[in-house]
Amino acid sequence: MQSRKTGSAHWSEASIWKAVGPLSGLLALSWIYLPILWLIVMSVSAEPLSGFPGPFTSRHYAELFVQSGWVAPLMHSFWLAFAVALVSMICATMIGRAVPRLRRGGLPITAVVLLPLMVPGVVIGTAMFLYLRVFLGFKLGLWSLFAGHFVWAFPFSLLAVLVVSFRFDTRLLDAAADLGSGPWERFWRIEVPLLKDGIIAGGLFAFLLSFNEIARSIYLKGKVETLPVYLWQQASSHSSTVPLIFPLNVIILLASAVLVGVAFWLLFHGARHQESQR
Amino acid sequence: MFRSPTQVNPKGHLILLTAWVLVGLIPIAGLAVWSVLSMENFRLVWEPSLQAYRDVFSSGRWEVTVRTIRVAAIVTVLVSIFAFPFAYWMAKGTRSMATKTILLGLLTVPFFLSLSARTIIWRGLLGLNGPVNGLLLQLGVVSEPLDWLLFSEFAVVLGLIAPYFPTMVFPLYMAFSLIDDEVLDASRDLGASPLFTIVHVVLPLAIPGIGAGFVFTFIPMIGDPVVPTLLGGGNVVVLAESVQSLLRILNYTVAAALSVLMLILLIGFISTAAWLTKRFTGGHSNAIS
Repeated sequence: MQSRKTGSAHWSEASIWKAVGPLSGLLALSWIYLPILWLIVMSVSAEPLSGFPGPFTSRHYAELFVQSGWVAPLMHSFWLAFAVALVSMICATMIGRAVPRLRRGGLPITAVVLLPLMVPGVVIGTAMFLYLRVFLGFKLGLWSLFAGHFVWAFPFSLLAVLVVSFRFDTRLLDAAADLGSGPWERFWRIEVPLLKDGIIAGGLFAFLLSFNEIARSIYLKGKVETLPVYLWQQASSHSSTVPLIFPLNVIILLASAVLVGVAFWLLFHGARHQESQR
Repeated sequence: MFRSPTQVNPKGHLILLTAWVLVGLIPIAGLAVWSVLSMENFRLVWEPSLQAYRDVFSSGRWEVTVRTIRVAAIVTVLVSIFAFPFAYWMAKGTRSMATKTILLGLLTVPFFLSLSARTIIWRGLLGLNGPVNGLLLQLGVVSEPLDWLLFSEFAVVLGLIAPYFPTMVFPLYMAFSLIDDEVLDASRDLGASPLFTIVHVVLPLAIPGIGAGFVFTFIPMIGDPVVPTLLGGGNVVVLAESVQSLLRILNYTVAAALSVLMLILLIGFISTAAWLTKRFTGGHSNAIS
């Protein structure tokens, strides 16, 4: 406690930093959030592409029911993201519970899993396209999208599980074993409940990363259209359906924000809860 | 054989990791192979050739690589100017846990929001008849609308700042948080000015975080086709677009060569940075001892 106080005393000397820090944060956060708010405003404006808001109308939202080109891509993206999230969750649980307990090998395993994060999306996309389509001759589709998204999302899921599993007290397992419970019972009744928050957060992260993925999808989609690619193509084209993407994006934006909120709440509320129990 | 209840079965993990290497890592290694093969009738032929690399340099694809790196580097520097003081303030300047949590949450949420949605609004704002040009005309700053606001490298840089700010803040924040307050106190007690402390104590200690910040900001930006296509409008062709057009005309070897060159450049950057860091911090610890 004492050191913390003197730490902030040290800070107050550097009053320039104290002013510059929040100011630069405020500028950057407005730079991030004003476009998002502007998007919401433009989605209820008559001419979203003009850059000027108003006159206000819900016409573009109604239009979503008439022009249904977005429904099939949405379904593809949803189920794809669901599958990526499910498999990422299972794999992240398997690896994530093991890494803190391995005497050796924990670091190399984590490094191998995190390696694709160091490779730009375009390079991974090209690499997987040339390998799967050109070299092995497979027909691309949902399954190759799944593979590409999994390589992208899994490292993040693993990180989420590791946040929780490094706090896991393995003595609980010893105690359970001493009391006569078997491996499966220990896993389901002790590990899963305690790692649950990290696992679910990892799954939600994987879902959202897959649901919004573009950089790899454009190489791996074959003939399948995913929603972000569809929206991006609509946005780059100059067709009459462009205003449609504003309301659609707003709906997806709000849904994503809610999911992220839930993931964060699970991750940090749970952490605080565990801490207070100690 | 007795197994401690805390032990984990290595077999399942081995299978998983093998699958991971097969799906994720082998294709990347494969790029190097495809890039030195030749093409015949739009098919790969097992005949070694460096033609693809010659094509990269003769067809202007090299300039695309340079442009991609230039844009990503400019944005990385710009976001770090804002991220440094902000992250330092969050780590050492505020003690309120609630403020920190809210700020970190605000930085995370947009990472999961559709990038094309957040980018497309700039098209209306920056266009010839958009509000920005309208305002500049009305204020008399310019006499005719600026045509370089949109579909230019300027627009691409502008659009990339928001999505790649959080990726810089997070590692910096973690690195600054890990610095012990007592070290900062010691520096002050020994008579160091705040600026001296930042340069000679904070920065050397935060080097791993600074490195991670640059890697997590710079690398995804290189692979991002969304902002350059929406705001560059064909005037700012980046690597992702270039590779996509190569694959569309079935020019596989050049696409592979271009990817390999980018990877080599990135590995070069990262190892140079790591080497410089080692020297830099190594020099410092010597100076202290």
